[in-house]
Amino acid sequence: MNGMQDMPQGGGGMQMAQDLALLAPEIAVLLTAVGALVFEMLRLPKVSLPFTVIGLLVAAGLTVPLLGTETTVFSETFRVDALSEWAKLVLLPATVLCVVLSYPEVKDTDREGTVYVLFSMTALGALVLAGAGDVMFLVIGVLLSSVGSFPLVAYPRDDRATEAGMKYFVFGSVALAVMIFGITYWFGATGSTLISDLPRLSGAPLAAVFGLVAALVGLGYKASLVPFHFWAPDAYDGGPVSVAAFLSVVPKTGAIFAIAQIARDLPAGASGWPLAVAALAVLSMTYGNLAALVQENVVRLLAYSAIAQSGYFLLGVVAVGESGLAVSSLVVFAAAYAAMNIGAFAVVALAGRDLRDFAGLGRSRPAAGAAMVVFLISLVGIPPLGGFVGKFLLFGAAIDAGFAWLAIVGILNSVVSLAVYLRIVVSMYGRAKEAPVSPRPVAAVWVTALVFTVGVGLAAQVLLGRVA
Amino acid sequence: MTIAALTILGPLAAAALILVLRRVAPALAVAGTGVSLAGALLTLVRVAGGARYEAVLPGLPEMPLRLVVEPLTAVLAALVAVVSFFVMVYAVGYTTGEGGKVRFFSVMSLFAAAMQTLVIAGDWVLLLAAWEVIGFASFLLIGFDFERAGVGRAALRAFLYTRSADLGLYVAIFVLISRTGTSEVSATLGAGGAAAVAAGLLLLLAAMGKSAQTPFHGWLLDAMAGPTPVSALLHSATLVAAGAVLLIRAFPLLPPTVLVVAGVAGGLTALVTGLTALAQRDLKRLLAASTASQYGLMLLAVGAGSPVAALFHLLAHAATKSSLFLGAGVFQHAAAGSTDLADLEGVGRAHRRVFLAFVVAGLALVGVPPLSGFFSKDAILAASFASPAAWILAPLALAGTLLTGLYVARALRLLWRGTEEAGSVAGIGWMGAGLAVLAALSATLGLALPLVADLLGAPAPEETLLVGAAGLVAALVGLALGWRIPGFRLLGPLLGPSERGFRTGGGFDGLVARPALSAARALDLFDRGVHAVVFGVARAGLALASASRVADERGLDGVIRALVRGARSLGGRARRLQSGLVHRELLLAAAGGALILVFLAVGVIGL
Repeated sequence: MNGMQDMPQGGGGMQMAQDLALLAPEIAVLLTAVGALVFEMLRLPKVSLPFTVIGLLVAAGLTVPLLGTETTVFSETFRVDALSEWAKLVLLPATVLCVVLSYPEVKDTDREGTVYVLFSMTALGALVLAGAGDVMFLVIGVLLSSVGSFPLVAYPRDDRATEAGMKYFVFGSVALAVMIFGITYWFGATGSTLISDLPRLSGAPLAAVFGLVAALVGLGYKASLVPFHFWAPDAYDGGPVSVAAFLSVVPKTGAIFAIAQIARDLPAGASGWPLAVAALAVLSMTYGNLAALVQENVVRLLAYSAIAQSGYFLLGVVAVGESGLAVSSLVVFAAAYAAMNIGAFAVVALAGRDLRDFAGLGRSRPAAGAAMVVFLISLVGIPPLGGFVGKFLLFGAAIDAGFAWLAIVGILNSVVSLAVYLRIVVSMYGRAKEAPVSPRPVAAVWVTALVFTVGVGLAAQVLLGRVA
Repeated sequence: MTIAALTILGPLAAAALILVLRRVAPALAVAGTGVSLAGALLTLVRVAGGARYEAVLPGLPEMPLRLVVEPLTAVLAALVAVVSFFVMVYAVGYTTGEGGKVRFFSVMSLFAAAMQTLVIAGDWVLLLAAWEVIGFASFLLIGFDFERAGVGRAALRAFLYTRSADLGLYVAIFVLISRTGTSEVSATLGAGGAAAVAAGLLLLLAAMGKSAQTPFHGWLLDAMAGPTPVSALLHSATLVAAGAVLLIRAFPLLPPTVLVVAGVAGGLTALVTGLTALAQRDLKRLLAASTASQYGLMLLAVGAGSPVAALFHLLAHAATKSSLFLGAGVFQHAAAGSTDLADLEGVGRAHRRVFLAFVVAGLALVGVPPLSGFFSKDAILAASFASPAAWILAPLALAGTLLTGLYVARALRLLWRGTEEAGSVAGIGWMGAGLAVLAALSATLGLALPLVADLLGAPAPEETLLVGAAGLVAALVGLALGWRIPGFRLLGPLLGPSERGFRTGGGFDGLVARPALSAARALDLFDRGVHAVVFGVARAGLALASASRVADERGLDGVIRALVRGARSLGGRARRLQSGLVHRELLLAAAGGALILVFLAVGVIGL
């Protein structure tokens, strides 16, 4: 259930001020986006970049004093809890990495600064999702993160990017329309838009269930869960690599956390919901891994792998409310996933999109090659890296919640996924080609990601202590 | 405890330092394993003096990482340290004048560190971590010469096989932790009942994968693609040994039902891979099959209820098998890099001192007194005769002994026959030093085995004269037959399947790897198929759309097509904008949503 409100006895203005203070990080992200836009309009894109980076880091910093708070703001519509706080601490630095990664791709292009603005706005959408306490916030979150990311995909304005952007847009609009349509039924059935009023659904008519499913469709599309994933490989491959890295981490994590927020407030008897989520998890893991097995394009391969990783994420969601490990497993895996996935995409940005571009990378650029190996084996879940700790906790949470079969499916899938990622490793240590150029921002991104991929694994105890 | 930790930290530090100080890679690797050796021996001395330690380090919540030093772990740590040190010394000579030293010595050191962690880990999480690192390091080492044809594939195969069996370890650990509420190894071994049976069988699965037991033995023969010191290390003290170590350490957990399964699985492996060894045409592949066969005998000993006999054989086998591989490596250099038995004919005559070490190790493996294998094989035979399942275990153990004699004699005969003058070998000094010590150990280690039994406080199985004589006869008959009659003729109709390593029904490849890949292709086709099929349909759809625009524009299709038309001017490439594609995919998404809806509706309303 929701944390209790610390309702001060002062007037409404006092309450308002306190609520705004709790939302300081979100407000900072919004101001960052607006500020970056102003610099872009002044034709100062060179200022726009550092402003965005600093703004987002300040927003993450503002979250630190909030850690441990369990409350809601604006009459329970937005939650300030472990999920939303850690979403900020993980996703904002992740956004910074993607922004830096995008710099070599977009610098000196027309409207360079817009890209940074769009990154910030999309990240804000993901944060709204992660803390949603009200269905309207779910809608706003999906909308904000979609509207921001459509143009990001289409940014290169060549044929491929335009087609991908278009496809993403069509898919997104329909999913969003279904979501809004269904949520009106939800509202009709419960008489409330608050997620915490969900228990009123128990024994409710079909209409209310329809609302719940519609919300799941909208969030499933954002999290690229099978069968709502079709846009993902095209969109990732059509747009810049930095955007693919961003889409595979930030909006996705936000949407998964939103599903977890819904799961926390489900009525006690709703046994169908965890099973439905478990089914989505099995589908996403299996489909993603198997489809990734035969890709020749590394961005598409990582896109399918990201679909599979969403499936692993859902193991934690299934356990929400049943296992004390659930929330911490979601947070730890989110941190590890953000680091290893952005790292892998950063190496793709350096090497090239085709599997053949990776031939000999381990010899021509040994450091980047070794880092790629670390990212990939962390994605598989080999200790002592972050991916292992995250998956171990997710599996543990699922077993704890009585979903042992789901954990076994997950472990089996991680065996298959090994073959997926080792295909890249094997070709990396083939015959050497000439070394690809390595722009400095890209190197900075993969080095940072490497530190965090290893760090999350080694410092899991510390991290867990802070979450729990 | 600090001294015990040196066994891990020495090679680990070497693995890291080598990446920085690339020039002195071999020296650092030898120094690292040297520190490890000193630490392990000092620990052993202290433990013999009655000391016991445990270190608790922060790990997962409620599940701290632990290292335990007790007699069993101290003996295993000493074994790993001795073998890895002398193999590393040998490797200095082996790699003389070859490239890739930094990568080689760094990963070898990592490999040794991970194995040390595995043997002294006191909790399942740390053990699991070490287990996985061992698997990954072996993947890198087997695939070391990745430019040679088939090597990458062999490495991948080895990793996939062992990884699939690793599933057992993961699930077993989850079962044990959820049953007992702790991850401490010693505390979980008391779990009884159904949990013990389930976890025991799962641990057995994991051990069989790592120790290359039938039906998982296929990968071990291919793993010979790695450099020879790698084979020596991973066959005697690291990767393959990990499986046996796991079962020896988990022995108190295993209920009788699991023991019988383990014993029979081990015995069958000893038989199947013994025959395989007899049919190989490559010296290293012969030794590899023999490894699987000897680990089969260790599993048989565990199954017969005597982990001490298994430990004896693990120790004796580590010394003998590493010597045999190191000898094979010298012969390989002498025969211009080939390990084909046809190319190696007579090479023993040209390198007599190396051949002598090879013979000593070979006879020790067969179990000729007073060499080390005689004592360990005796213990295994005694255990098998004393076990409740003696009717099956004892004949299997005797057959395994006989086969060992056969294939060792066959190898010796081929190496001695003929008169070919072999070339000189670079780096023979270092190689000889490593080989000499290990061969001496394989000759004399038998005398130390009673001390080990005293240290563990667990007596070796009681031997009877009859059992000892039966074992000796089996070994000598095997040797004599193998020396007189070519192995191919002995096998008769079994030759074909033996040569292929009994990969019946396509083996593991056919059962797991191929179906997974074809399912993957089917799914990809499904994704692409929607693209390809719809490509034609899309154009027709566009034409249709303009024909019935008014009717369409009220529906979803119309909206999408209208958007597509708008995008046409935007992107300037309407031709390949496949309206039908998106729409087909949306249909699938809608179907998925509808399914969930039905599912939940049925659940909530309770139809």
